[in-house]
Amino acid sequence: MIELPFKLLITSIIGASLAGFVCSTIGVFVVQMNLSSIGYCMSHAAFAGAAFGLLIGIDPLLGAIAFSIFTAFLLGPISEKAKLNVNVIIGVMFSIMIALAFIFLNLIPGQAATGVALRILWGSIFSVTHNDLLFLVFLSAVIIIFITVFYKEILSILFNRKLAEASGINTRIFYFIILFLTGIGVSLSLKLVGGLLVFALIVNPASSVYQFFYDFKKIIVFAPVIGVLSCLLGFWFSLLTDFPIGSSIVIVSALVFAFSIIVSPKRRRG
Amino acid sequence: MNIIELKNVDTIYEGEKIPAIYNINFSVKRGEFVTVIGPNGAGKTTLLETINGILPYTSGEGYVFNREIKRNREYIRKKIGYVIQNFEIDPLAPFLCRDIVMTGRAGKLGLFRFPGETDWQIVRSMMDLLGVKEFERRPVGKLSGGEFQKILLARALAQEPELLLLDEPFSNLDIYSRRNVEDILSELNEENNVTIVMVSHDLNMIPVNCSRILVMDKGRIILDAKSDNVDVSDLIEIVFSKSGNQ
Repeated sequence: MIELPFKLLITSIIGASLAGFVCSTIGVFVVQMNLSSIGYCMSHAAFAGAAFGLLIGIDPLLGAIAFSIFTAFLLGPISEKAKLNVNVIIGVMFSIMIALAFIFLNLIPGQAATGVALRILWGSIFSVTHNDLLFLVFLSAVIIIFITVFYKEILSILFNRKLAEASGINTRIFYFIILFLTGIGVSLSLKLVGGLLVFALIVNPASSVYQFFYDFKKIIVFAPVIGVLSCLLGFWFSLLTDFPIGSSIVIVSALVFAFSIIVSPKRRRG
Repeated sequence: MNIIELKNVDTIYEGEKIPAIYNINFSVKRGEFVTVIGPNGAGKTTLLETINGILPYTSGEGYVFNREIKRNREYIRKKIGYVIQNFEIDPLAPFLCRDIVMTGRAGKLGLFRFPGETDWQIVRSMMDLLGVKEFERRPVGKLSGGEFQKILLARALAQEPELLLLDEPFSNLDIYSRRNVEDILSELNEENNVTIVMVSHDLNMIPVNCSRILVMDKGRIILDAKSDNVDVSDLIEIVFSKSGNQ
């Protein structure tokens, strides 16, 4: 088992908990609104952005945020207006982002930068900084306020967007806020979980909780609980096995999902 | 006073060249109960969604509550209860019936306002009115088609609308429930002066108390008459022999 200095251990535990909270809470919207493929594309855009940040010598986090927000603003209107199948557009965007990410990584000179780039790809507890934690705390607060203040609008949109629109809610603005929060959440969790796996942390805990409850309030409360637990267990598993932290978190959250499907009371007959 | 006023309105779906409805001249006075009938594809749903601005009309002029529809969509929608044509609901959907009925009030309440006890009382009374009060804590996905339809109606009524737009509101309802819903609509129309525009593809679904019948076919209004002056056999002749698909 890897032994960490106390300060790093605390930073990592807080980072894992916050990333788990942010991603799994956003996941409740992403899963219910069938935005999984859009979010998947955004996580790879964030990865490409982080690689771009490294290439031009700025904080990879800024690059990740810029690319994922850009993708959110591009995909939002396209998914609403395009006459093409949205999945086709996402497929093209996704491949472009991966291609760009590898081009940027390839252009980064020196071994050190490659090491950083790989950490963005796989995730690493060592790259989480004090500033990252502050950003995650801030985003967590924004998400909690967003859900509390606009709960009735969110519930209405998640039930049926057309009916929500017909009852006088401006659904477009909420749709974009959700995409925007997804982009930021993905970007801030990128260092910990890694660009290739961050999206699993969005989908898996929320999908697990959906197997247990019919009351949306309970889903909103328990999805972050499962998300945080998955991250902490994954972190512990990573220390135990020396596996990359992102992979460990995703394996734990996928096991939780598999367990949820098996024991789901919603899927039981009788 | 006209509550709905459409003048030479065409509505074209994005990417289409032919209007789904065209040259629509249609006005409804406050307190009228209008039934729009026609075969599938006649443009009935498009007409409803043009009225509430879900589908922006591409030419002509449209007013609801004396306000131009496109510029005042959110304002007018807060006063319009809309029942969508029956849609598939995931049996595992994470929504309780009472919460769905409450979503009907979300737009009317407006941003930054939380539902209070009065709002919940309205929700409960509308569920009671439609005979679904015992489903308050039941998941919507577990309801039968008819029960779900009643929840959608309760949701629209919880909005306390001035205008009700109902798209095939009797679909999935058994004969007893249908009569019950018809009575509720008539009462709302007569006692609360709620204006109702409902569409149906089925001639047997025209409510007894409806005051006016509109017949649509291929995107046009081909008949607009007081219900007392319309003979059902004439309607059958007009709608179904012409369309040839029913």
